[in-house]
Amino acid sequence: MAYKSILDWITFGNIMENPWYPFGDLYNLPFDISYKLWEIIGGALAWLINLLLPGNPVSTWLVADGTSVGGALLIFMIVIFLVVFICTLLSLWMERKVLGRLMDRRGTMIGLKGFLQCVADGLKTFLKENTLPKKIDKMTYMWTVALVIGVSVLIACMIPLSGRWFVVNYETGLLIIMAFFALAPFLILVSGWAQNNKYSLIGGMRAAELMISYEIPILIMIMTGCFLAGSFNIGDIVNAQRDIWYIVPMAIGFVTFIFCATAEAERTPFDIAEAEAELVEGWQTEYAGMKWGLIMLAEYFRGYVSCAMIVILFLGGWNIPFVSDNVNNLVPELVFLAKVWLVFFVMILMRGAFARVRTDQIVNIGWKVFMPLSVLNFVIVLLLKAGGIY
Amino acid sequence: MSLIMTYLPLVVVSIMALGFAPLAWLVSRLIRPNRPTAWMEMTYECGSEPIGEAQVQFKFQYYSFAIIFVVFDLVVTFLLIWAVAFGGLSTMATVWVLLFFAIMILGVTYALKKEEYLWI
Repeated sequence: MAYKSILDWITFGNIMENPWYPFGDLYNLPFDISYKLWEIIGGALAWLINLLLPGNPVSTWLVADGTSVGGALLIFMIVIFLVVFICTLLSLWMERKVLGRLMDRRGTMIGLKGFLQCVADGLKTFLKENTLPKKIDKMTYMWTVALVIGVSVLIACMIPLSGRWFVVNYETGLLIIMAFFALAPFLILVSGWAQNNKYSLIGGMRAAELMISYEIPILIMIMTGCFLAGSFNIGDIVNAQRDIWYIVPMAIGFVTFIFCATAEAERTPFDIAEAEAELVEGWQTEYAGMKWGLIMLAEYFRGYVSCAMIVILFLGGWNIPFVSDNVNNLVPELVFLAKVWLVFFVMILMRGAFARVRTDQIVNIGWKVFMPLSVLNFVIVLLLKAGGIY
Repeated sequence: MSLIMTYLPLVVVSIMALGFAPLAWLVSRLIRPNRPTAWMEMTYECGSEPIGEAQVQFKFQYYSFAIIFVVFDLVVTFLLIWAVAFGGLSTMATVWVLLFFAIMILGVTYALKKEEYLWI
């Protein structure tokens, strides 16, 4: 093949025909975007090198199939992360605005209706001094918080936005996200110990206590959803509720799940692990500057995942009911995000309206209210399934 | 196509996700000030001098719930597997799983009734 113009290097071929294409026979939009971006970068580089040294092997290596997929994966990583990051910043902005209105004030006002305030706050924490107390166990102190943030970002990246926007099309989709989601309380418990601060220790213990009380109901309700759909795969669960959302057979479960998901994300009224009125900042007391900023951000990542789980399990994911496939397949990503933000709006309303529960109340609510309700929800679904309606 | 290739996107994304926080700290080291003082390095305790260590033996007041939680976590794992396999199971298998679940629910109800006064 002769390489003459730059267009011989940048071809924009069909990615599905690349033998190294990592998504099998499913089309992946973010990978397509990053593949084309890599073709522009790699192709231009190859063209330049070929101008200087005609006929060298580096240029052909840069546009080979395997190299293109490798480079595209690097850009894919940034694309996926950036989209999730911007969605999370938007929900952070939404929380500050709506909460402000609920408290009869205006919320953030600087730049783009207050959106740039979040960016400015992020930059401010970036410039803050790194405060390390003397008495901490430094290794554990740093690694636990890095893992709390890392795991939260990872699950946010693993949530698929639509049938064409995903990282891996897992057969164990919801289960693997749930497993990573439930990891944080253990890390918080260890982190509370490592900080050598009484408030942090109590905060860590409370995080474990919170997890003990909501984890079983949430797992039973996820099991019920998977039971209806017959699969753990998020795509299958969403497609099974193409016309009738699972909120119809699982109405009780929906209400319970909203509360459990709020607890899972450790938001008010279930933020007993960081109850700022009683425990200063709970398990975050000794974290300052950049570390604190990232913990706050991770909290919104977790809130985003909680809302996404509600949307996937109960609100039909990225599908709009009763419309033709042509309309449905236009921008499923935006439909999904709109639903996520709608649920997040409800969570903000809950934060504005409810008082924080006490530590002994949360265990009793979890085991004596949520747990029977989730079992009742499961029995209803079982009867529906046995009766042949689903 | 091999399994490794299928999970390669996840590996790449998890490197980004898990490396995000350490990378941010490393980069901010270049621009942030570093002037530690004795006050700053003291453990925070609402403005007063910290009394004693916090790395002490502590007691979980909710240990009875923790034990029920461990048992029930296993039950739910069985149920999760049963839920996806439901289509291919015989009626008897379903009845056995539900019986198992019902016995567990009964046990938890009994335990919660009994432990009601144990909460400190």
